[in-house]
Amino acid sequence: MSAVTLLARRELQDSVRTYWFLVYSGVFVVGGLLLMVLGGAQSTVLGYRGFARAIAGLMHLALFVVPLMALFPAASALAGEREVGTLDYLMAQPVSRREIFAGKWLGVWGAVVLALAVGFGSTGFVATLRGVSPGLVLGLFAFTVLLATAFASIGLWLSAASPSTRRANSIGITVWLVFLTLGSLGVMSAFIRWGLPEWVLTGWALLNPIEACRLAVLPLLDSDANLLGPVGAALLASLGRGGLIAVATASLLGWTTLGLVAGSRVFRNEER
Amino acid sequence: MITARSLTKRYGEHVVLDSLDLDVPRGQRVALLGLNGAGKTTLLRCLLGLSRFEGSLTLDGLAAGSGAEGKRVRAQVGYVPQQPPRYDFRLSDFVDFFCSIRGCPTEGPESLLEDLGLSLANDGGKRLRELSGGMLQKALLAVAMGSGPPVLLLDEPTASLDPSARRDFLEAVRTAPSHLTLLFASHRLDDVEALADRALILDSGRFAFDGTLEELWRRSGVERPTRSIDSGGAPVLDDVLARIIDDRGHMGDGESGGDLESLDPGLRLYVENDQ
Repeated sequence: MSAVTLLARRELQDSVRTYWFLVYSGVFVVGGLLLMVLGGAQSTVLGYRGFARAIAGLMHLALFVVPLMALFPAASALAGEREVGTLDYLMAQPVSRREIFAGKWLGVWGAVVLALAVGFGSTGFVATLRGVSPGLVLGLFAFTVLLATAFASIGLWLSAASPSTRRANSIGITVWLVFLTLGSLGVMSAFIRWGLPEWVLTGWALLNPIEACRLAVLPLLDSDANLLGPVGAALLASLGRGGLIAVATASLLGWTTLGLVAGSRVFRNEER
Repeated sequence: MITARSLTKRYGEHVVLDSLDLDVPRGQRVALLGLNGAGKTTLLRCLLGLSRFEGSLTLDGLAAGSGAEGKRVRAQVGYVPQQPPRYDFRLSDFVDFFCSIRGCPTEGPESLLEDLGLSLANDGGKRLRELSGGMLQKALLAVAMGSGPPVLLLDEPTASLDPSARRDFLEAVRTAPSHLTLLFASHRLDDVEALADRALILDSGRFAFDGTLEELWRRSGVERPTRSIDSGGAPVLDDVLARIIDDRGHMGDGESGGDLESLDPGLRLYVENDQ
């Protein structure tokens, strides 16, 4: 078994044993099923559309929770080991820094995806029983995984650059808050207040991974784009549904790449 | 085997290792002595690729560092740190994981653990944090030596051990195959006498002494400790350092031993405080 696999397996096992895994899985199971029940009550009137609304609610929950769910374990992956002195011992073994970074990332990513699969899967299963397309559920799950992947990479970058878990988590929460509060509404306010050019508004919407994920999934749920908001509607009009999904996917993959490349470089060049 | 040329390590303006040259042939057992902060641990860390340095440091021609060659160097080196890593592993998982990382079967460490009075069958389920300092050091030594590496690095390995654990630890190292090259940092002269056949004294980043133990005792003028690993009343390191290192940080003649006035102010304070 390769060093990367060994490290990833160890990280995955450690993550699954921690309370956050159960908490986040539980949040998705309970939150998702609750939304399905409420959606089911509506569906007698609205039919499929009611369940789509419930799934949309689940997606909003995911947009709020998934970044944190990926950030925290990733932020502690290297910084936590550095803090308790185990990182030096690990790095004194015949394993390269690149392998340590890759193994940590894979382990954290695997744990987050597993928690999402448990939480999202149960809700998705109920939704498909109620007539929601399995393809739609899988599409939403895929974008949720992409969002988690981007934030796991950002989290590990912060972990590589921080001397302690507390510092990495603090910066992580700040990053999360910036992305969350400066969503389309936040930027809309700035747009109106300072008269920013339109490309700043649309550019920010696509650069912000949370907003990019939202813009990618909502057209899947609502072909009328009622849930997208003005920025999303404008982007949908100019890029089309496929184009919007492609650009949003590129944004999430871009954040993943940036986190991995920058984090790996910081970790490899770290002076100890 | 281990070769250093102009090995220099700086932390900002502070030079920890100052243009060191060193040759350690295969099978030699070398004790690194010096005050706290003299650079002993840093030298070991450079060889493990944990610290960057200037100059060259090689093991069998492979460059130490964090790159691909550094990984091959580490594959040949077993390491026991001064502070045991605080993993939340069970002992058996710890042995299993690091044997897998080192690419060796667990039989070697298991057998060594048995020799050291630990058994995976009985103690394997214990978490590392439940083990005493002595048991932890034994586990680390078993993992370090279990794959049969040609080089063993020990960083003050017996500093926190009780006499019994220390005896077991030293016995395991002393009875290792003769081709094992040993480089260990220590403050205990009886450990040095038990394990080493060469001593290096680091002071202000340079070697203030490099020679056999016989030369060390002769130059320092201190009573030679017994080679028995059961020894208790060994001469203290301060006596040796005070007599070897002169006020310029170079090798002294050993004849003017004990003259605190001739020492570097920092070293003098250290010795005076300890007396």
